Amino acid sequence: MSDTVDLAAKTPESQEGDDAPNARITSRYWFALSTTREERFFLVLAVFIGVFSALAVVCFRLAIDWSKIWLLGPVPEPHNWRLIAVPALTGLVVAFLVIHVFPLARGSGVNQTKAALYIYNGYIPFRTAVGKFITAALAIGSGQSLGPEDPSLQIGASLASALGRRLDLSRERLRLLAPVGAAAGLAAAFNAPISAVLFVIEEVIGRWSAGILGSVVLSAISSVVVVRWFLGAEPLFRIPAVGLVQPAELLAYATLGIVGAFAAVFFARAIGYLRPRLRAWPRWTQYFQPMMAAVVIGLIGFLGAPQVMGAGYEYIDQAMHDQFTWKMLAILALLKIIATILSFVSGTPGGMFAPTLFVGAMLGGAIGGLERHFYPALTGSTGTYALVGMGVLFAGFLRAPMTSVFMVLEVSGNYSIIVPVIVANTLAYVISRALQPTPIFDLLTRQDGLDLPSLEEQREQTVLRVEDAMSAAPTPVLNGGDSVDQALQRVRDLPGDFLVRLHPSGWRSVTTETLKRLAGEGKGEMTLGSALVTPALPYLHPDHTLETALRYVYQVPFVPVVHRADFGRLEGVISRDKVLEKYRMTQRDETD
Amino acid sequence: MRLDLIAITRRPPVIIVFLLIIAVLAFAGVGRLVNRFHAQEEALARHLYQRGVKAQSENHPEEALGAFRAALSYSRDNFQYQLSLARALRDTGRTAESETYLIRLWERTPQEGAVNLALGRLFVRQRVFDKAIQYYHYAIYGVWPSDAESKRRDAQFELIEFLLQQNAYPQAQAELITMALALPADPSVHVRVAGLFMLAKDYERALAQYQQTLLTDAHNQGALLGAGQASFQLGRFRTAQRYLQAAVHADPGNAAAQRLLETAGEVLESDPSAPRISEAERNRRLGAAFTLAGGRLDDCAQSRGIDLAGQSSSNDLPHLKNMWLEMKPKVTKLSRPHSASSDPQLPDELMNLVYSIEQQTLSVCGSTEGPDRVLLLLAQNHAGVEQ
Repeated sequence: MSDTVDLAAKTPESQEGDDAPNARITSRYWFALSTTREERFFLVLAVFIGVFSALAVVCFRLAIDWSKIWLLGPVPEPHNWRLIAVPALTGLVVAFLVIHVFPLARGSGVNQTKAALYIYNGYIPFRTAVGKFITAALAIGSGQSLGPEDPSLQIGASLASALGRRLDLSRERLRLLAPVGAAAGLAAAFNAPISAVLFVIEEVIGRWSAGILGSVVLSAISSVVVVRWFLGAEPLFRIPAVGLVQPAELLAYATLGIVGAFAAVFFARAIGYLRPRLRAWPRWTQYFQPMMAAVVIGLIGFLGAPQVMGAGYEYIDQAMHDQFTWKMLAILALLKIIATILSFVSGTPGGMFAPTLFVGAMLGGAIGGLERHFYPALTGSTGTYALVGMGVLFAGFLRAPMTSVFMVLEVSGNYSIIVPVIVANTLAYVISRALQPTPIFDLLTRQDGLDLPSLEEQREQTVLRVEDAMSAAPTPVLNGGDSVDQALQRVRDLPGDFLVRLHPSGWRSVTTETLKRLAGEGKGEMTLGSALVTPALPYLHPDHTLETALRYVYQVPFVPVVHRADFGRLEGVISRDKVLEKYRMTQRDETD
Repeated sequence: MRLDLIAITRRPPVIIVFLLIIAVLAFAGVGRLVNRFHAQEEALARHLYQRGVKAQSENHPEEALGAFRAALSYSRDNFQYQLSLARALRDTGRTAESETYLIRLWERTPQEGAVNLALGRLFVRQRVFDKAIQYYHYAIYGVWPSDAESKRRDAQFELIEFLLQQNAYPQAQAELITMALALPADPSVHVRVAGLFMLAKDYERALAQYQQTLLTDAHNQGALLGAGQASFQLGRFRTAQRYLQAAVHADPGNAAAQRLLETAGEVLESDPSAPRISEAERNRRLGAAFTLAGGRLDDCAQSRGIDLAGQSSSNDLPHLKNMWLEMKPKVTKLSRPHSASSDPQLPDELMNLVYSIEQQTLSVCGSTEGPDRVLLLLAQNHAGVEQ
């Protein structure tokens, strides 16, 4: 017997699913007939979402490349006025489109997807996908320092949402489709399914949920397969030979983690400071903000650093292969941070994924080059530092520590650098968290007036369990094989409810009054198991959370807490009062 | 009936089939788009590649590098562009990046001759000789899309020249011997192989190659000169004279050949064991060689401050001087007109002393020019001079 089935059957979510709109669905659609069939169909749907998202992302990438060729020319070179004029005009067009045609296309798209999951029941207008596609392709293609990953994530989520609505899926399923599409979009954009799945869990879903993990993984994988079909299996940048040469190098990687953390904090604080201020400026200035950002970025390109324009994957590739001096790498990292801050706070649609990787790679390469300059015997290849640097910024700025580690491993396909990656990323994450308590995505959502769950906050929360609030079971515990008369004899003068242990397992409760009534009805010779017709009590285990317990304690005086290996062995009971008392105590402790 | 149809369209298999049809149509549409985009990228990449090739031919390596890089950004998988970029990176000193490119290409097509050759050259540049030789061998036995024999041979020539630069003569000779077994009937190839045999100090095989060439092209100037030089090195001065005369005849302006010919003539005219010369002439040559060696001995000792009368010395010069002095009366007798040696071993003993003196003074005082050099050449192979 599985307690999971018992518990799942009475979850608040499933009760919500029985609301009126879903009752309507039940009468019309096949999948309301069977939860299992719906789950199976949902998995198949996840594959289709992966395919459609990938196709959309392929088109999106072509659109960016086409825009880049047409707007900046096949090979953007410094000292060409086109680098300033064209991005400026494109910025104006993008601003007009965002303000008048696609208002939801503004920003990165990660928060919008998360909001769809938690606030709008999985609803993302299809128009948002179209708007994101057009405006982000124009912006990134014209050299704005933004990446295609976050928009791809939103495009995927938007497509999934549209498909779910078209199929009239239940609200619960519709809500889950957004992260499924998001994972597919991100996996297609980054050509890395594992990182995409982890990122969606860390940043979009914001909690570990096994419920949709299968669908998320399926959509991400199918999406990557399709993208590779069209665009090839090559990663976004070539990975050089990487590895840890000697353990002493870990000091150098630790330095990288510390420097990366400070860079990430500067990056996040600047965005957090400038974004609300620019948005508070008069509305007419918003037409010119993307244009002004484009002018500054174009000027940087014009004066000799066109590398900061656009997503910049080709320059990450070059940094990994030792093509820049450490000074140039450091300059590029700084310029990219400035360019990305300007692009992002101006409200230009586009993502922060690629710029983060760019800054990390340049910073890593710079520190690697610097250390190699001073300690030639100590350090490994610049490529290794650039690769670790990408993870460092990812952990420090985007604050997705697990994704940051797996991303580096997945992209490099090399597990020999796991120790430097973990050392550097952990340092970056811890320092960044200490200096900037609110992660960038949470900061942005709060600036937008929303409060969405975050995995980082969840990690810090104390989990209260049944064992923290349970009390001793009322005695005596009656046996289902005893007769009603025998039981009455044991509890005749005792008040309250008593537990009855049924054979082979299961629990019921009974009062002295009920026993007296049964005896009066002439059922004194019957066993308790056969005389009691009340439904069996739900039961819990000591390690269940108090949230789980709350679902059951409101309708019965107490719920038995039993051993996981022996359901007949009573560990205690838990009641509503005890649960609430525990919550009150915990809150008081936290306030103190 | 209409209601039934709606119900049917909402059944999972129908929905899946419908989604499948949309997916197939979308695949086709995106496929066309991608193909069109790739075609445009290919055209752009070709243009940039041509620009790179032009810059390379005009000796603007940095410009070529930029163009190849840009070409590759539009056609990432193009083998030729990657190879050109890797070569340009290598030629501009960016060996680490070049290695990354080439190793990736090699992993894709380990049998490709051009990639292996580029890797061989890269490792030569990085002075990783074992790997260089390994990749040269892969290139020699690798796959070449066109003109395979010639390209394999060129790679082997390059390897041999590299080995010779490293003074790895036995390995170079081994490569040359393998190569010589399957040469085409092209005289220029034979002459080149023979030249490399010469550099590898395998004069016998060099001569054989030159002679092979002369069988098909009797007036091949390079072969005549080479054969003369090889014969000269082997101490076969008569043969050398013959080839060198022909070479000088074909090219009278060749001063080196002329000098070598004169030296060969001097050697032949100084050889006391030459056939068909009179006794008097033989004695004259013996006497001249003896006197020359004695003079060389004295000059060398004087220049190095060696006391030839002393007994303790780190070299054999005093001992040789004693021997020379002991033999001098016999030689003086020989130099008289109509005198005949009563000792048939005397010419050989005398010449052996002369050769010993010349070789010792060479090791103590260094090389010399003029008649002493002629004696040294005679000493190297005095039995084969007339061959």
